[in-house]
Amino acid sequence: MKLIVLAPEDDNHTAPIKWAMEKAGQKVVCWAGLSWTDEGQSSLLMNGDDTLILGGHSVDAGDVIWIRRPEVPVPNPKVSESDKKFASLEYRCFYHSIAYFLETLPVWCINKYSAARVMIQKAVQLQLARKCGLKTPATLMSNHPAAVREFFARENSRNICKGFTPHVWQKEGKMSVAITETFELASDQLPSDEVLTYAPAIYQERVPKEYDIRMVLMGNHIYSYALKNKKQALDWRQDAGLGHVTAELVPTPPDVEKGVLEFARRSGLCFGSLDFGVDAKGTWWFLEINEEGQFLWIDQFNREARLLEKFCAFVTAPQGSTLPLEARQDLFPSLQEYEELLKNEQVPPVGRPRQEDPFLSMEA
Amino acid sequence: MNDQNRVLIRKGARELTEQEVDAVNGAFKVNHTLTPCFIDKKQQLLNGDQSIGECG
Repeated sequence: MKLIVLAPEDDNHTAPIKWAMEKAGQKVVCWAGLSWTDEGQSSLLMNGDDTLILGGHSVDAGDVIWIRRPEVPVPNPKVSESDKKFASLEYRCFYHSIAYFLETLPVWCINKYSAARVMIQKAVQLQLARKCGLKTPATLMSNHPAAVREFFARENSRNICKGFTPHVWQKEGKMSVAITETFELASDQLPSDEVLTYAPAIYQERVPKEYDIRMVLMGNHIYSYALKNKKQALDWRQDAGLGHVTAELVPTPPDVEKGVLEFARRSGLCFGSLDFGVDAKGTWWFLEINEEGQFLWIDQFNREARLLEKFCAFVTAPQGSTLPLEARQDLFPSLQEYEELLKNEQVPPVGRPRQEDPFLSMEA
Repeated sequence: MNDQNRVLIRKGARELTEQEVDAVNGAFKVNHTLTPCFIDKKQQLLNGDQSIGECG
């Protein structure tokens, strides 16, 4: 068995996990995605046996495929201007064929591309979570001004607004930025109808939360961390980046665990990061799941979490295993060890410039 | 911010000063961070929970 990671080797989660797996004697290869370069090329041969090659690495029975962060397919830039659009679509279609075809092979995909594609949709997540018995806030997704105003007119309601995707606006020539964040919005703060059509948004009942939960799902295993900050900010993400958040392991209520495992079963996801808000009564409200959400940061906030080791134990265990990951996590080194090496430049640095960031805009 | 024709989400966005961006980047004793929303100042990109990647 080998682990094939669909992400650049220097992706900030791929690099430490590859290092930890290799330290434990496991074989790991990375494929950043389809491109015209030697390392980006792929072949899918169907002639009796099916053979799939990703950047020189064969996909073999028993392999584990972690579809972490593949890059957008890159056609050869030398292709004629007249053929660029066609070549780009061909690259895209071929990538999709590869990603879906992986599911037909005797390998374990984390996660299946088809499941990920569906479950990235926030509307689908919320509906499925509700069907699985998880409590969800009333939500409107809309660019229809009348519908938005009607939603905000609900009696005694408090509401928030958030986007479907994150985004950063950077001022030309400056390093200060503005980042999308969930924010409370009252009916008398709603902008003109025209503005409500500039971009659809998610309008949602404000969960009266006391604190947040970041939950990490690894197969049949669930780890929940209470995220608390002094400011009780509506959106904890920036405070986490500023180090103002604590992450404490907390037990998952049995009904929530049951709902999440049912959600995983019905969605086809075996891995993901889930967000909940917990109110004063102790009720857990499902907010969202990111099937390839960041999780190693919890190890930085809580050294006992050992999610890096748990993830390595997860991907090297048989698919669907119910044995506790804790039983095998000691086979792998910790993120803290990796960080020491990184600090001393004993492992390659992570991150590299990308061609274009879809989440960044410049503004005057 | 120029208010002309801006989306509602931009109006509710959190402004981070350059010092705060630096603080996010320097929050850990490593030259990267792993948090759910991280602005890479050097590379000018957002790295976080969601990735469009090849999902289009």
